Amino acid sequence: MESIKKNKKLMAGIVITSIVFILAFTGKIYTPYDPNEMDSTAKMASSSLEHLLGCDNFGRDIFSRVISGLGNTMMIALGTVGMGVALGTIAGAVTGYYGGLLDEILMRFNDALLAFPSILLALLFISLIGAGKYNVILSLGIVFTPSYARIVRSEFLRVRNLDYVSSARLMGASDARVMFVHILPNAYRVMLSTIAIGFNNAVIAEAGMSFLGIGVQPPDASLGRMLSEAQTYLFVKPSYAFSIGLIIVLLILGFTFISEGLEEI
Amino acid sequence: MKYVIKKFITMLITVFFVSFFVFIAFQIIPGDPATAMLGTEATPDEVAALRVKLGLDRPILVRYGEWLIAFFFGDMGKSYSYGISVKEMIGNKIPITVTLTLMSFLMIVCVSIPLGIYLAEHKNSPITRFIDGLNRVIMAVPAFFTGIMLTFIFGLVFRLFTPGGYVSYERNLPDFLYYLLYPAIAIALPKIAMTVKLLKSALLNEAELDYVRTAFSRGNTTRQVIYKHILKNALIPVITFLGMTLSDIVAGSIIIEQVFSIPGIGRLLITSISNRDYPVALSIISMVAFIVIFINFLVDLLYKYIDPRTEG
Repeated sequence: MESIKKNKKLMAGIVITSIVFILAFTGKIYTPYDPNEMDSTAKMASSSLEHLLGCDNFGRDIFSRVISGLGNTMMIALGTVGMGVALGTIAGAVTGYYGGLLDEILMRFNDALLAFPSILLALLFISLIGAGKYNVILSLGIVFTPSYARIVRSEFLRVRNLDYVSSARLMGASDARVMFVHILPNAYRVMLSTIAIGFNNAVIAEAGMSFLGIGVQPPDASLGRMLSEAQTYLFVKPSYAFSIGLIIVLLILGFTFISEGLEEI
Repeated sequence: MKYVIKKFITMLITVFFVSFFVFIAFQIIPGDPATAMLGTEATPDEVAALRVKLGLDRPILVRYGEWLIAFFFGDMGKSYSYGISVKEMIGNKIPITVTLTLMSFLMIVCVSIPLGIYLAEHKNSPITRFIDGLNRVIMAVPAFFTGIMLTFIFGLVFRLFTPGGYVSYERNLPDFLYYLLYPAIAIALPKIAMTVKLLKSALLNEAELDYVRTAFSRGNTTRQVIYKHILKNALIPVITFLGMTLSDIVAGSIIIEQVFSIPGIGRLLITSISNRDYPVALSIISMVAFIVIFINFLVDLLYKYIDPRTEG
């Protein structure tokens, strides 16, 4: 615990990320205004006590939209990371533990996927299955799977012949038990910082796709989508775009610090 | 030579693998192109006739082979939405995206390598600490948001360029290049930050090794040791990274083109995805994938040149 407190980067990351998480969580249960409610008398209203960040071109409260959009973006990022980690862990564990032909085939497939720029691969999936919140999670989840699979596989390769694994096997533990109860807990350290980076990549990818109009679809708010709306009004209301951008930057910065801090432990 | 052949074969295999995957994906999922072209009111006979005309009644492997060969001879099929050939649609957009990519790549190389060396040389100066901190923030800003900020600062406040005022290269080349300057900076900035960080740590890691001490003991100056000994070794991971970056830029320009309203390949891809214009989407995605694979091949070759110890 002491070492965590002394780790400045990790602490900074946790503080920034907690603030953003609290905002996102608040946005899920309470927003000052309905994020999609249009008030024609408040179109392009500037910041005031009533509307903290003012209103957009439809008279919707920007602060409410930002925190609810933040929630959506984070949900997608978490879903993506969750899916990538789950699939990647299984693929990496099986290939690393058993090796052989299956390992060769899966790893070549992995290499081919990694050679593809992630956004292009995600676009390929979206062009096939269509846009929308869940399709974004699905396509980004698949896109990010290889990076996790590779990390898990190398950890499994490293420990599969260590004494404690052999003892577990001698005691009659099944392969699945050895893989997930004995080996996996030892791999979590290496995975943590990869997950933090993966989270950032997911946030950027989702925001980018929604910015292009092929991610989250209206009426759902998402940071990327709002940024593209805000860009139209950049001259009259720069604060709109900047508040969204700032939130994205804080979100990413927080996880960058966490990942760097974790590497120092 | 054996290494080159080996890498070349790997590249060909990857091309086949990726193109097959992409082609099959586009054949299976979107449904029947014949139905899509004729609309919902077509009779089954009409659909069947069009399927024969389009060649859809033949085995998928045959169609894949024909598509791949035609693709490399420049025949990419016809757009569903516009009825003109895909080649025609893509042709005059390629120079735009290529120019944008090369400009930002050039910026990355020209800025990050000298800067990385400078920071490693002065690792304890306050300037280094300041740039390190700045780097971390720049890395956290996605390119499309950098693009929006550049539009605001240089386009709207200082009025150095007109946002959305893209000029075609056929009309005025200098204006075209000038307009691309800002999007190129937006793409390059986060990559510069990453490259600088990587190069600096690679240089500092190398500097601790024994051969460096030996080089110093033979009377070399710091400058000589850095440029003649350390740099060559420290550049190896940087080149891998730059290779990955180059393919990232190709893909990243898709978003930046949207931010700056540049009518390049990326915008065409997004439009074709939104319109479900599959021949166009398939052609662009395959083309970008092939370019990326080819870049990876070149990086592998460069690798061998810089570090002859590399084993294939």
